Amino acid sequence: MTKSKREWYVGKPKYHEKIIQTILAVSAVLSVLITFGIVYILGKESLLFFKEVSIVEFFTSTKWQPLINEFGVLPLINSTLTTSFIAMLVAGPLGLFVAIYLSEYASEKARSILKPILEVLAGIPTVVYGYFALTFMTPLLRLIFGKDTVDIYNTASAGLVMGILILPLVASITEDALKAVPSSLREAAFGLGGNKLHTSMTIVVPAAFSGISAAFILGLSRAIGETMIVALAAGAGSNFTFNPFEAAETLTGYIVRISGGDVSYNTMDYNSIFALGLLLFFITLSLNVLSRKLVRKYQEEYD
Amino acid sequence: MKKIILLSVMFVSTLAVFASANSENSEASSSSASNSWMVESEDGILPGVNPINVKGDIITAGSSTVFPLSEAMAERFQDEGYAGNITVDSIGSGAGFERFTVTGETDISNASRPIKSKEIEAAKKIGRNPIEFRVGTDALAVTVAKSNTFIKDASIDELVKIFTAEKWSDVNPSWPDEKILKFIPGTDSGTFDYFVEEVFDKDSAPLLSAANVQMSEDDNILVQGITESPYGIGFFGYAYYSENKDILNILSIDGVEPIKENVDAAKYPLARPLFIYSDAEVMKSKPQVAAFINFYLTYVNEEVTRVGYFPADESVIAKGKAAWLEAMK
Amino acid sequence: MINTLFKSATILAIFILFILLVNIINDAFGYVAIENSIEPTIFIESGNLDDLNSDDIIEILEERLSKGLVRRYNSESPLKERSQKELMELLFNRVIEPRVKQSWSLKESIFNKKEILELTTKKYPNAYIDFRAWLNLEFITKPQSSIPEFAGIRTAILGSLMIICITIFFAFPVGVASAIYLEEYAGNNRFTRFVQVNIYNLSGVPSIIFGLLGLAVFVRGMEPFTSGSMFGYGDPATANGRTILAAGLTLAILILPIIIINTQEALRAVPQTLRQAGYGIGGTKWQIIWSHVLPASIERIMTGTILAVSRAIGETAPIVVIGASTFISVDPSNIFSKFTTLPIQIYQWTSRPQAEFRNVAAAAIIVLLLMLLSMNTFAILIRNRIGKNRS
Repeated sequence: MTKSKREWYVGKPKYHEKIIQTILAVSAVLSVLITFGIVYILGKESLLFFKEVSIVEFFTSTKWQPLINEFGVLPLINSTLTTSFIAMLVAGPLGLFVAIYLSEYASEKARSILKPILEVLAGIPTVVYGYFALTFMTPLLRLIFGKDTVDIYNTASAGLVMGILILPLVASITEDALKAVPSSLREAAFGLGGNKLHTSMTIVVPAAFSGISAAFILGLSRAIGETMIVALAAGAGSNFTFNPFEAAETLTGYIVRISGGDVSYNTMDYNSIFALGLLLFFITLSLNVLSRKLVRKYQEEYD
Repeated sequence: MKKIILLSVMFVSTLAVFASANSENSEASSSSASNSWMVESEDGILPGVNPINVKGDIITAGSSTVFPLSEAMAERFQDEGYAGNITVDSIGSGAGFERFTVTGETDISNASRPIKSKEIEAAKKIGRNPIEFRVGTDALAVTVAKSNTFIKDASIDELVKIFTAEKWSDVNPSWPDEKILKFIPGTDSGTFDYFVEEVFDKDSAPLLSAANVQMSEDDNILVQGITESPYGIGFFGYAYYSENKDILNILSIDGVEPIKENVDAAKYPLARPLFIYSDAEVMKSKPQVAAFINFYLTYVNEEVTRVGYFPADESVIAKGKAAWLEAMK
Repeated sequence: MINTLFKSATILAIFILFILLVNIINDAFGYVAIENSIEPTIFIESGNLDDLNSDDIIEILEERLSKGLVRRYNSESPLKERSQKELMELLFNRVIEPRVKQSWSLKESIFNKKEILELTTKKYPNAYIDFRAWLNLEFITKPQSSIPEFAGIRTAILGSLMIICITIFFAFPVGVASAIYLEEYAGNNRFTRFVQVNIYNLSGVPSIIFGLLGLAVFVRGMEPFTSGSMFGYGDPATANGRTILAAGLTLAILILPIIIINTQEALRAVPQTLRQAGYGIGGTKWQIIWSHVLPASIERIMTGTILAVSRAIGETAPIVVIGASTFISVDPSNIFSKFTTLPIQIYQWTSRPQAEFRNVAAAAIIVLLLMLLSMNTFAILIRNRIGKNRS
């Protein structure tokens, strides 16, 4: 190939180029088709669902039991938010602290050890976290608070473990945001006699505020869409409760349970999982869009 | 250049899998039943089966209650030499019938309730005519955790109250003032249907709208939930109780214990038949299906107790054998 | 001191990872109490089976085993011609049938050995204690079974591998092609930006949504294709789309955005001078990409792809939604077979109440993590080669 490179370059007809470019463009458009596919499929099945169910009932009733025509999605949303909120209580502060440490304090050597560890945490499949929730976290909670207080399936255990799952995500995006803060700002603060801690907390973190919010929102979005942990540890039956030690099924938990039992075609059950899927899709999509907007904001600020 | 090779190695290795995917055809070779598996009769009614000579795949799906029994029979069938693929999917009686009667994708449907007339209608639309084979008896087990000390027996009326009330003390003032944690099979399961029919007089609404209900198509999840709290209660097929005797207590119903004598004498109120369903056309065009059902009916009573159910009466099994002979004419 | 807070948060994260791994290993090894279904003393007073000769063993086997089973063994190789050792093995596994009655975790096995022994003698007077590694060679080479000590993951591993090959086969070419188009060809116009934003958003869609898409499109909509019936595979009467092909396609769509984004970054890292040098000797755009840009970025592309694929291997939710078989002991024979995967087995076993299944789940998790670890190590090795080549 080396000696004949020159020959290889000349005398090729141009239409090859055109064909190749077209193939590449078609590939790129495919991803757009996938998005349309998702919206179309979820929308089509959901329409069938909302022919039978009023949207008002869907969003206001507090009972979800499709078999006896109770279609209030609130219990599922409520438990989804409970688990996600608990997850953010863990991943938010911890992720922020880890990011501050990595970006402001850690030596090069410490970083080279820590980053891979966070990557490993991020790379563990969620079903393994589900196992961890059921075999470690739940027994631990029941040991601390008593077996009568904590049900075997509960949203607290699922939420805490989910927090561990999204910790690396929150930490790495937050760290990027902190790193984007120009060092001139830090140096100015040092010049005014601020110590490192003071500088981090009063200059760097506020300056990276939009990036940190982006990380939190993305973490929340990931928690809302998380499935296997809640399927294994949070329980399997809709339950409108604010007690994190009780069992309550989430949106994703319901979808996976119903489809795991093999859904019959064109039944309310089948259509209902698509309606819930559509809801889930819109919630996570809007959070992701918001998160990207915030990231762009800080990139524009400091680039 | 090296890198291009890298790229192509990745590509070629993927292709290799496609190439190695063998193109074995799992179809029944023809509609004429090949009877090479027939050997000397075991029971004087059905032809004997030699699983070594049975070829082709068998697809079954349905009840999670019947699952352990069908699985045991399938394992024995393979153990004795059957080399084909047999799948047993545990998805609930309703979903099983769906696959059998609407999409026609299964050969045998496992069920813990008789087939409904509308399911028969659906089957007729795709040219199937379901044949029922009774294979055993289940004594539906209502269970609590070993740590539960206050309930040993319940009447049917009490069961209704327990599965709808919020707290144990609401049912009986002498019981603890604690939430009743209910663990019930999913709505697609025959066990759920049966319980609603027998205990709730066919109205599932009170049970489904009760507080603290956990549902799962996977009976193992129910067992796990019940064992973890003295205030849990649930029900499922007897085999799941048998398998977990050391961590569960079973209730007697109306004072009748679910033991063999009571089940055989039809005294236990929650005893119910277990079935497998197939279709004459399927059995004829797929000799492996006929062979497996024959094997099932011949040996089920040797396995049924070990699995944790109760044998169906010999006369009932004989009825199934007669239906098999009728179908194969 | 507030700044130790930052450090301790980091240490806590490491500690959690440590606990997670210890918890898994703790369940994968430990003592088990084993009880025989039939005590050897029934056949020979001394209880020492080695004292039986071949004819005695054959007699016992013919008496204790079903007719069909004896027939099968004779058809494989006549019992009369088998060695005493082989017959002994049959006797042991099929008649004596040692079964695990109870299992303990590694921690209990190390620290409470005495209690375990006491409990066993009290609860199972006929049982003996043995140390068991639930993760062993047999576990990897055996198919699924309803008895935990015989359960294995061969079928699941094969299912996972075949699905991953399909996933790569579809996602890799399309993903790389999309990235090349976006980076090298597309102008900075509204359409390009739209596609780009769309890809980013797609990468944040929960995986279960892809499962729903797969269920509606691949399993149901394209059933003739995914079940293989249009190619004459399978049985039209039992065709359904819950096959390896459907799972592979679903995961391909799932990781496509990740592959595109990673490949774009890889292409961006290629210096412009390389492209300009190509134009200098009169190459066309595609020639330059093919002979300069791709070779220069292939390692980074591979690294990104491996990371995306390892995510696909661990995915469970979408595979549950499209309907993997949970109890299947048959190896998948082609891409139109029913299947199970490693994460599906872990999910199944974790949700079972018997402690032994927990042990089996832990062993399967170790296999899964080792698989992912070796893939990632491979990716890191490639990454390090980049460093060497470019310096």
